[in-house]
Amino acid sequence: MSTTLERETSQIQPERPWAKQNKSTLVANLVAVIIPTTLLAILFFVTEIPGPVLVVAFFFPVQLLTAGVTTFFDRGKRGLGDAVLSVACVTSFGLVLALLGSVVFSVIARGLNTLSFSFISQNNIYISPTTELSYGGVGHAILGTFLVVFIALVIAVPLGIASAIYITDIRGRAAGFVRFMVQAMSGVPSIVAGLFIFAAVILTDVVGFSAIAGGLAYAILMLPTVARTAEEVLKLVPKEVRDAAVALGSSRARVTLMIVIPTAKTGLITAVVLGVARVVGETAPLLLTTANANNTNLNPFSNPVATIPVYIFQFLASGYETSLNRAWGAALVLLLIVSILFALTRLISRKKREKQ
Amino acid sequence: MTVTSSTLETKSSYPEPRYFGREKSRTTSDKIFSGTVIVSALSSLFILTGILVYLSTNSLPIIIDQGISFITGSNWSNIEGEESFQIWPMLYGSLFNSIIALVIAVPISVFLALFIVFLAPKAISKVLVVIIDVLAAIPSGIIGLWGFLVFTPVAANWGELLNQYLGFIPVFANDQGQFARSPFIAGWILAIMIIPIITVVSREVLSQTPQELIDASRGLGGSLSGAIRMVALPYARGGIIGGVMLGLGRALGETIAVFFVLNLIFDVNYFEILIPEGGNIASMIVAKFGEATPNEINALLGAGLVLFIMTLIVNLIANVIVKRSTRERLS
Repeated sequence: MSTTLERETSQIQPERPWAKQNKSTLVANLVAVIIPTTLLAILFFVTEIPGPVLVVAFFFPVQLLTAGVTTFFDRGKRGLGDAVLSVACVTSFGLVLALLGSVVFSVIARGLNTLSFSFISQNNIYISPTTELSYGGVGHAILGTFLVVFIALVIAVPLGIASAIYITDIRGRAAGFVRFMVQAMSGVPSIVAGLFIFAAVILTDVVGFSAIAGGLAYAILMLPTVARTAEEVLKLVPKEVRDAAVALGSSRARVTLMIVIPTAKTGLITAVVLGVARVVGETAPLLLTTANANNTNLNPFSNPVATIPVYIFQFLASGYETSLNRAWGAALVLLLIVSILFALTRLISRKKREKQ
Repeated sequence: MTVTSSTLETKSSYPEPRYFGREKSRTTSDKIFSGTVIVSALSSLFILTGILVYLSTNSLPIIIDQGISFITGSNWSNIEGEESFQIWPMLYGSLFNSIIALVIAVPISVFLALFIVFLAPKAISKVLVVIIDVLAAIPSGIIGLWGFLVFTPVAANWGELLNQYLGFIPVFANDQGQFARSPFIAGWILAIMIIPIITVVSREVLSQTPQELIDASRGLGGSLSGAIRMVALPYARGGIIGGVMLGLGRALGETIAVFFVLNLIFDVNYFEILIPEGGNIASMIVAKFGEATPNEINALLGAGLVLFIMTLIVNLIANVIVKRSTRERLS
């Protein structure tokens, strides 16, 4: 009933006449785009001024000027601010697009030359920085990354979800404090996580450089992401569902474990995927905890293990042409893993929306 | 009696449920369950304390030995007999790079957020949101690789141009003829990594600006830029500042991407952004770690401690600001 009331009284949509595009605005916008670009193109091909100088010293002023003049004719003095604003916005948009495009394009273009079945299946034994690309690869590093991330998951997911449950379901006195601590943790630099595990586990001789040490360092970085996302998700579970379970006489543990968590299952999976995506490319903590290896090592408790980020680091640091190609290839593999994770979160959230 | 929709919604038709969270749990299984959850929930506290304890106990002898010059001095030497571990150039470098990054990233991010919320057509702003998410998801190792092999030559070229035309300004001075591996490039790389954070937070708070206020401003004949300047930006100021602080925290702790694009020199470069000399605590730790002597390792742990405390403070301030500005909106 409440909704019908609302709809009757307050749902008159304002018309917002200023948002309508009329023809003169369209013409003004077109002119403001075409004139500077054509001038830039002409100057670029006719004169010999270097491109960057042309863009900064010529294109931007001219662009601002034309945009200002055209909007002035279209809308008068008040249009000038709008002209500056839209030029600044579109420039920022273009800049970010160019930067991201350059990163993705160069990883794909240069990585594809390296990528092959042998590259993703072989390990790095007997490979020097100058060995031909047809030998050796990142197989051992892919397995190592999976191993380290898996260990981090086993540690961070229960702790993260428990933190969220404490805030949303148990609602104890320290709920605000726990949230505060989780936020503080999300700011821990990755290198500090590595240093901590190094000091706590490796310096004290509990284990050496190993996958378990790397997993612990990754878990520190993963925990806040999982906890915060899980909290958001658990908050969405309707209060009535919890109330109904309590009314039926369920114990606290049962309500959470058998009602709340299954209801929020897909969201919790998203939290886990986001946690993995957060850590999977981190190099710094692994340099201090897993070190690096050339062989395939699947024993989590002893001996260094190779991972993709450290593999990139190793071959980038050695600097030869073939080793750089290996680094690009490994970067492409890493980018593929990250984009699969990214697509997975989108897919999960879309499926959930369809269900509702 | 007038019935408003809000009273209808809040008054449930059944008695207000009693929340078990506040009373004592009765069964053993409940006790075990809540005990486990409480202990796990406090794991963040244990970890943060653990970081403080382990980093400080290991590095305390070195820090006491060096005194205040651990932070203010500029010597780093691991040669036995004349050991000296002082991090000022790196500490200042971290701040310096981050400030360059903020100068680049803040305007770009705020304009992007404005573009997404107010200017762009729906389709473009949806795409832009995804683009920002993708940019945030790119691992720092890949940014480092790209920054070293693709971006550095381009940016060095730009740096040379800046120096050529604006070299009379001391900030752009460069008498070394070398433009790669400078704080300018490191600042750009950091900017790329913090643009998503600042944009996401700014977008969030800007989109909470009440539509009525914008409409009122436009209805009075104000331009869009006027509405943004007089209504939206003042409204979102706190949130944007918080987002900038979060970005600063991230920039201070970034390691690998900076490691490849910056030349670490133990000699403070106070303001010349184009010369190939700079500092960064996190990168320095990675650079020195491999061949460090036991004492040096402890000094590196001390450097990590300084970095940790610095980022912790910045992040806490940021979170308080963001929280306060969003809470004011809701009440």
